[in-house]
Amino acid sequence: MTIQNQPIPTVLLDKVSKLYGQVIGINEVSLAIDGGVTGILGANGAGKSTLFKLLMGRLKPTQGSVRLFGINPWSNTAPYRRIGYVSESERLYDWMTALDFVTTLARLHGMTRDEARDRSEHVLNFVGLDDVMHKEVGKYSKGMRQRVKIAHALVHDPDLIVLDEPLHGCDPIARTSIMSVIRELGNQGKTVLVSSHILQEIERITEQIVILHNGKLLAIGNLHAIRDLLDNHPHRILIKCENPRTLAAQFIERDPVYGVRFPNEGELEIQTNNLSKAHSILPSIILHSDQKISSIENPDDNLESLLGYLIGDANDG
Amino acid sequence: MMDKNTKTLAETVWTRLDRKAGAIIELTARQLRHRISTWVVLGVGVALMALLLLFYVDSVRQSFEPIDNDGDSVDEDNDGYPLGQERKYGTSDFDASDYPGSGVYIPEDEIDWNDNVRSFSGNKSWNGVAFFEYEWIDYTYSGDWWDDIVDWEGELSQCPDGRVFIDWNPRYGEACIVDEDEYFIYGKWKGNGKATVPEEWELRWGYYSQSFDVVPDPPEMYIDEDDIDCFDVDGDRVDCPSGTRLGGSHGFDNDGDCLRDGYQFSENYDFIFDYNYYQFEDDRNGNGIRCDVYWYVDADGNEVMGISADDNVDEDPNDERYVGELSHRTFIIGVGKMAFIILLGLFIPLFLSLGLVRDETENGTLHFLLSKPIHRGEFILYRLLGYLLIVASYVIILALIVGLITATLGPGDQLFRFSDLPVWLGIGISTSFVLAAYGSLFNTMGLISPKYGVYFCIIFGIWEFTMGTFSIINPNWTVSSISITHWALQMIDAIVLMAWPDTLQWAEIGEAFNIETGLSFFWHPPVHTLGTQSPGVALLVSTVVLSLVSLSMIGVGQSVFSKREIM
Repeated sequence: MTIQNQPIPTVLLDKVSKLYGQVIGINEVSLAIDGGVTGILGANGAGKSTLFKLLMGRLKPTQGSVRLFGINPWSNTAPYRRIGYVSESERLYDWMTALDFVTTLARLHGMTRDEARDRSEHVLNFVGLDDVMHKEVGKYSKGMRQRVKIAHALVHDPDLIVLDEPLHGCDPIARTSIMSVIRELGNQGKTVLVSSHILQEIERITEQIVILHNGKLLAIGNLHAIRDLLDNHPHRILIKCENPRTLAAQFIERDPVYGVRFPNEGELEIQTNNLSKAHSILPSIILHSDQKISSIENPDDNLESLLGYLIGDANDG
Repeated sequence: MMDKNTKTLAETVWTRLDRKAGAIIELTARQLRHRISTWVVLGVGVALMALLLLFYVDSVRQSFEPIDNDGDSVDEDNDGYPLGQERKYGTSDFDASDYPGSGVYIPEDEIDWNDNVRSFSGNKSWNGVAFFEYEWIDYTYSGDWWDDIVDWEGELSQCPDGRVFIDWNPRYGEACIVDEDEYFIYGKWKGNGKATVPEEWELRWGYYSQSFDVVPDPPEMYIDEDDIDCFDVDGDRVDCPSGTRLGGSHGFDNDGDCLRDGYQFSENYDFIFDYNYYQFEDDRNGNGIRCDVYWYVDADGNEVMGISADDNVDEDPNDERYVGELSHRTFIIGVGKMAFIILLGLFIPLFLSLGLVRDETENGTLHFLLSKPIHRGEFILYRLLGYLLIVASYVIILALIVGLITATLGPGDQLFRFSDLPVWLGIGISTSFVLAAYGSLFNTMGLISPKYGVYFCIIFGIWEFTMGTFSIINPNWTVSSISITHWALQMIDAIVLMAWPDTLQWAEIGEAFNIETGLSFFWHPPVHTLGTQSPGVALLVSTVVLSLVSLSMIGVGQSVFSKREIM
């Protein structure tokens, strides 16, 4: 009785492993995801695509069980009525227009030709392709192609949307518009899984993340909580300016900064153990220095550092 | 309310399935249309048909010309009389002195080897051995080709040295000069004098009947001069093969070379040359009727089992009608079997069906399709249906276009041969069945082994080509029935017999009257009739076999694909 009353999670993985011969794709991953946008973070080869292909019934788990809406997706098409999937595959039917492409795929949901066309126009508007939907996909830019792929995944108004590297290879404008589309889907209460290997991308979309590393589930939870942990560890800020040495003098006295370096001509590297605090003092120092600053970068604020930290932490523990 | 419920139910089950099928079929067809290889393959097919049609048009102009099938329009001995005319008079076409009206030899008497009286005088035509004291000799009555008679026993001495009559030698013999007015002669000669026959030799004599003038016929008269004649129950002449009375005595010796009304019979006929006389039988089929053609039919009386003609009856048929009709049918059947079934049937699927699902996997576009609620097995089926939609309509339309052209140009009195169209349609449909069977087989092979499937398909294609060729030559050979082609060729054999029920008769006519058009090479009565001899049964059996092959191959492909992990 209690089991029946409990809501079934949209995505449920129970100790799922996938082996490709001797190579491990995913190793004993257990996950339950429900509602909102979840970022799946991991370097290349971490197991993101394997995880998605297990969800989409392309691969059969070597061990464990995968359930979508409580149904095993392997050789069962029932869950796909409620799922939209954007694969990492770049190839489309170049000779088709975007509207044609999405309409054709919409008809596979059992829609009539007219229904499919209406829905397709709607989702193509939603992803911002309203002006170009009658053009052949072959003439599209990469960002437009990604949006066509997203449109096809949304055409049947699914409850679960799985996006495999949707921002890959997109220009900044496309990136921004795709991100807002994904956020909007999350706001609509849908369960959205987005994979990426770029931390900042995910950061702009969602706070809820899953980190995969070498096929293992490394971390799961709120990104800010994880980042806060990261903040208290040694960090670098790289400032490109006209006179690094005068600027360095300003920093060397201040609290979270414990060292400076000059890696190249016109570059200043500040070493700190509290990134947010360092960033909070940054504006006033720069303002008072009267220098032209060409860029400020956080070379350690990326997935590799995060992974390095998390793995180091795990090893320490 | 009730209505709405029923409608919703129907909506969910059938129409949705239908819509998915429609979408995949449409996608596949459009995809094929956007591929260059599709247009190349289909274009090559059109080019092949155009080439064959050129041959057809050429043969329409040429081979329907009258042909002297029995060769009796020639005049071998240059005596001005064609063979056909010489046959009527029983004269030799190898002997210029023997021609219609030339008179025949009438034998009178002889001196035997044991007769006591061994000499005889007179103005005669002589034949044998004698010392001849002549008053007159016809030196023009002379041998054409042989100088010597055959001396079997070695008893005839050659002429003594210097005694050979070199200016004259009798027919089939030689003459030696014995004295001023006496020769020793063996052979045939004409002359007035006294013949003395040596012991143990013989001599016959007689005279030639009065010669008379026969106007030589023009050789053209002996081309197409003895058509195939058929008669109905009332004895009225009908077109062959006749449906009203197939069996029994038909045929009429239009040119008279069997009936031989002007024949000059002679006891002592020149047997060396008149092969016609000795080997000629005016009742060869032994039905007691002179110079007719006997048609053997089966128990029902509706199928000709054989045709047996008396010599020189119906031996030079009207080519426009018979050669024309036979070559026309041979062309259609040959093109249907070789070009459509074997060539198009094999090559189209090899190029277009092998990658139907495999290429989608390799391109990664499969992910879009499989992320939709469609079963992989369904996907394969719809994919193949889309392929079939394109290629089947292609072969059917192509067959009908070729059919329209040949039906317009073809032989016969009618302006348009409507009876051809069912055959062409049948060729298109049979080819579609082959395309379905190979398509599902090749597609499955591409799925089982994306890398090496194509090699299997090529080896399999060679097997199919070989078995197809064997099936054309002899459809009864059991081994060849382990091939897809065999059953499609059976379909054509059956359809031909259904659309043109008299094809069997035509094939017999071709055989019996030596009209060499290859119909009996390209067409055989269908084999797999389950003992009924019915082409309908054969058609059904072949259709079922081909459908089963297609379905089982789709099934194998589905089960392979459903269990496949897709990267």
